[in-house]
Amino acid sequence: MNRPLDLDDIQGNICKGYGRYGFPKARYFFLQFHTPDQGRRCLHQLIPLITNAEPWAADGDSPLKPDVTTNIAFTYAGLEALGLPQRSLNGFPGEFRMGMKSRADILGDNGPSAPEHWDPVWQGEGIHAWVSINGRDMDAVETRFSVIRGIISDTGGVSIRPGHRGADNTLLPWQDASAVYENGKVTPKEHFGYVDGIGNPYFEGCGNDPSRLPGRGKLNKEGQWQPLATGEFILGHVDEAQEYPLAPEPHLLAHNGTFMVYRKLHENVTTFHHYVDSVAQDFDGSRELLMAKFSGRWPDNGAPLTLAPDDEAKAALDQQLASLTEKADKGDACAAAQLKALKDQWIDFTYADDKHGSRCPIGAHIRRANTRASLETQKGAFNTPSALDDRRRLLRRGLPYGGGQKEASDATEQGIIFMCLGASIERQFEFIQQQWINYSNDFHLGNDKDVLIGSNNGRLTDKHIIQTQPKSGKAPFFCSHLPRMVETRGGDYFFIPSITALNMIAQGIIDPT
Amino acid sequence: MSNVAGKAYGMNVLTPLRWWTALWQKLIFWVVVKTFPYFLKGLLTLSLIHYARWTIINRWSFPRLDKTQPKETLTYSYMLFESNFNGSWDQYIDSFSFAIPGGLDMFWRWNIKYPKSIPLHDFYHYIRFNQIECDHYYNAYPLASANDVKSAKRLTGNLRSFADSLTDNMTDEAFMDAYRQFLADNQHALGSMGDSPLMSTSHQLVQHHKQVNTAHEKQPEEEA
Amino acid sequence: MANTFGNSYGLTTLCPIINGRHNNTALDKITRRRIQLLKENSASPFARIPNTYFARLFILNDVFFEQGNDVARDHLKSKYLVFTSNFHGDLDTYLSGMWQHAEAEIRHIWQHAVAFNNVQNEKDFIAYIKKCQLTTSLFFNGSTDDTLQDQLKSLYIKQAFTEFALTHQGKTAAQLRAAFNQFIRQVDIHNPVSPAWSPGQETLSDLNPLQQR
Repeated sequence: MNRPLDLDDIQGNICKGYGRYGFPKARYFFLQFHTPDQGRRCLHQLIPLITNAEPWAADGDSPLKPDVTTNIAFTYAGLEALGLPQRSLNGFPGEFRMGMKSRADILGDNGPSAPEHWDPVWQGEGIHAWVSINGRDMDAVETRFSVIRGIISDTGGVSIRPGHRGADNTLLPWQDASAVYENGKVTPKEHFGYVDGIGNPYFEGCGNDPSRLPGRGKLNKEGQWQPLATGEFILGHVDEAQEYPLAPEPHLLAHNGTFMVYRKLHENVTTFHHYVDSVAQDFDGSRELLMAKFSGRWPDNGAPLTLAPDDEAKAALDQQLASLTEKADKGDACAAAQLKALKDQWIDFTYADDKHGSRCPIGAHIRRANTRASLETQKGAFNTPSALDDRRRLLRRGLPYGGGQKEASDATEQGIIFMCLGASIERQFEFIQQQWINYSNDFHLGNDKDVLIGSNNGRLTDKHIIQTQPKSGKAPFFCSHLPRMVETRGGDYFFIPSITALNMIAQGIIDPT
Repeated sequence: MSNVAGKAYGMNVLTPLRWWTALWQKLIFWVVVKTFPYFLKGLLTLSLIHYARWTIINRWSFPRLDKTQPKETLTYSYMLFESNFNGSWDQYIDSFSFAIPGGLDMFWRWNIKYPKSIPLHDFYHYIRFNQIECDHYYNAYPLASANDVKSAKRLTGNLRSFADSLTDNMTDEAFMDAYRQFLADNQHALGSMGDSPLMSTSHQLVQHHKQVNTAHEKQPEEEA
Repeated sequence: MANTFGNSYGLTTLCPIINGRHNNTALDKITRRRIQLLKENSASPFARIPNTYFARLFILNDVFFEQGNDVARDHLKSKYLVFTSNFHGDLDTYLSGMWQHAEAEIRHIWQHAVAFNNVQNEKDFIAYIKKCQLTTSLFFNGSTDDTLQDQLKSLYIKQAFTEFALTHQGKTAAQLRAAFNQFIRQVDIHNPVSPAWSPGQETLSDLNPLQQR
């Protein structure tokens, strides 16, 4: 058991997915420090704006929920540019020091996703810091952005790197992101039309409601959900291997910090819809079912296929949902409880009763990205059922970007700003991206790749198998010639220091001696 | 030098044991063999290994072929572990160590300074420290993992039986039904075949250098 | 005694290298250089040696010193050429095949091994390797113990049939049946030798001729 976390020392984006807290708008921008001293001065001015991880409450001691949040993180080059001592720099893990571009062949960033095709902001050197502003509305974001721009111009020697591709081929000095709206209301969807961002891991001390644990933690031998070790997500704490994750010296530099992957993932909406349309003609089921068989969740409401594996079951589920919602809205407490229990199953499930993948295909996106103990194919074979998963979990952050055009196409700007956090980029994000998204040996599926974000190239064998129930007389369905539906348009690896470390970096007093 | 051949990683680890505990270790292996697969269930489920072996070299049993060869005078006996598995040690140490920590501890239990498989860093460094790199590593199927080899065997056996079971007088529809059933029965053996994912950027560099060497035909002449 | 697992065999050998020099270069260095320069994959001599699943060569320079003041510091008096192989079948047949298909490379690699100058023929080679052999304590087979030809045929079939299944989804029963019968003939499913993957093959088989016919 880890000790309680200093939530006021940890940056807020580590423990909170801001989207879930009512911040549908965001702006991300990147700083270049031209001299260490000016960079430190600028940082010093920014620190009071940084949001920590303290829970927000309506009253009492806890801080009130603000209109806007701000967080900051640094690349390896950025820490160098701020004048961190070489010894401290040497302690950072190799993949972080190399940066995302150098890892392209590990990540499958090839062809149209290759770094030479990324947005201009990523070309050349000079990405030193990432700053994020999340707001309840765009005005709040703009207001905070002006404040920060003021600080930057006052201190001098720091610039905002331009070159993010925006609508109509414009280039902007920032990347705006926003939840997708339908009829003026915020939705949890991304631009292919899937409900996204369900099921982030639950770890010891994260400050979240314990009722959120089932389906989000790890599975012990008795089949119960337990929180993952803090050290899987935050440095300076014990991890699942019963040790402290690899981190730079001194302790205060790394403690309560973590690593973050930032990726701008462009969604080829035309390619996607054409592919779905064409395959749906031969598929025994609705277009929505086909989409669900790609991702593992129904696009409209995110219900997992384990809960409703076909159109009939989905119709029954929808009816049940509608009726419970109606009763609950009228104040029926019993129906409200039933509704909550039902919705809990969006998260609280495993694939124990779906070994063949006839409900959720074994290669479906959510079964790759979060394997939920399904790799223990022989009961009791491993130390715990989720032994192969617990070191490969991702805290997912981020929001969709672009969209809103009348006619979205591959050429228009839309996608997801994918951000994920964890104590080891190599062991968590890179492993999942390489071994589970772009390869399938652990799933016994050879070289098959993820339909949605895999680096497929439209060849015959770029495929996804929709498994069938054995002895049902039905054949499995093959989705072949998978095109590249998502392309990487930029990104890098960042270090998110604690508030204490930020202050020490700003003062220039990080001393590993 | 490379420990990588296609989808396989070749690992050699040589670790010392006291000569009498080497005998205990041999007994453990004997029990593992006799009770197969009881102690190897985790390893079988993990399904990353093609072939692996543990060989105890008693301190007196290093081969001596001629009087001119000096006799070894060793304090310890040694254990040579050799494995052919899919993925690199760096990529898959967490999988091995988390899935079967008890098994790993049992196999190395009597080795000098063995740190146990958890916590992980010490175990990782113990193996790395005692690892000997391959100078030449050959894999008969660089494009196939152990899972691919096993599923290919199942699929081919089933396909032979299926083909043999077909008769000229069955209707097209009966064939279609049987074919559908065949696909359903073999749906887990139909993953696409292809190249290994890149094991590391270091290995990529070595591959690149080898290509350059070959292209320029500038491999240095050997001394003898 | 666990050198075997079903029909698979785990051969472990330590071949001492003569403590000496040739043209000012130590014999172990010459040997290491030779094995490092061997061609790889399908061009490796092991690709010609029947039934080799995996094989490796490395030089054991010395044993390691586990750090601390409570352990002894062992050192080897010879350097060893370590040759290990995982193969199908019995040892004598395998070593015969080795000599028959790679005699030149064997003579080149083992030239500086102790007492190898006495090896004149296949029989000598088998006896020599057996003298260098160590008994494996535990041999684990996580794959199959079939002949290599069977393994390579199966892999070819897996590649070809997967592509067949993808190409023919949605065909009518009559079309499918005709195509399937033709496929089974073309892949010559009971013939283990051809068509099949070849040992050490680094790129997928070209199935276009198969699809066009």
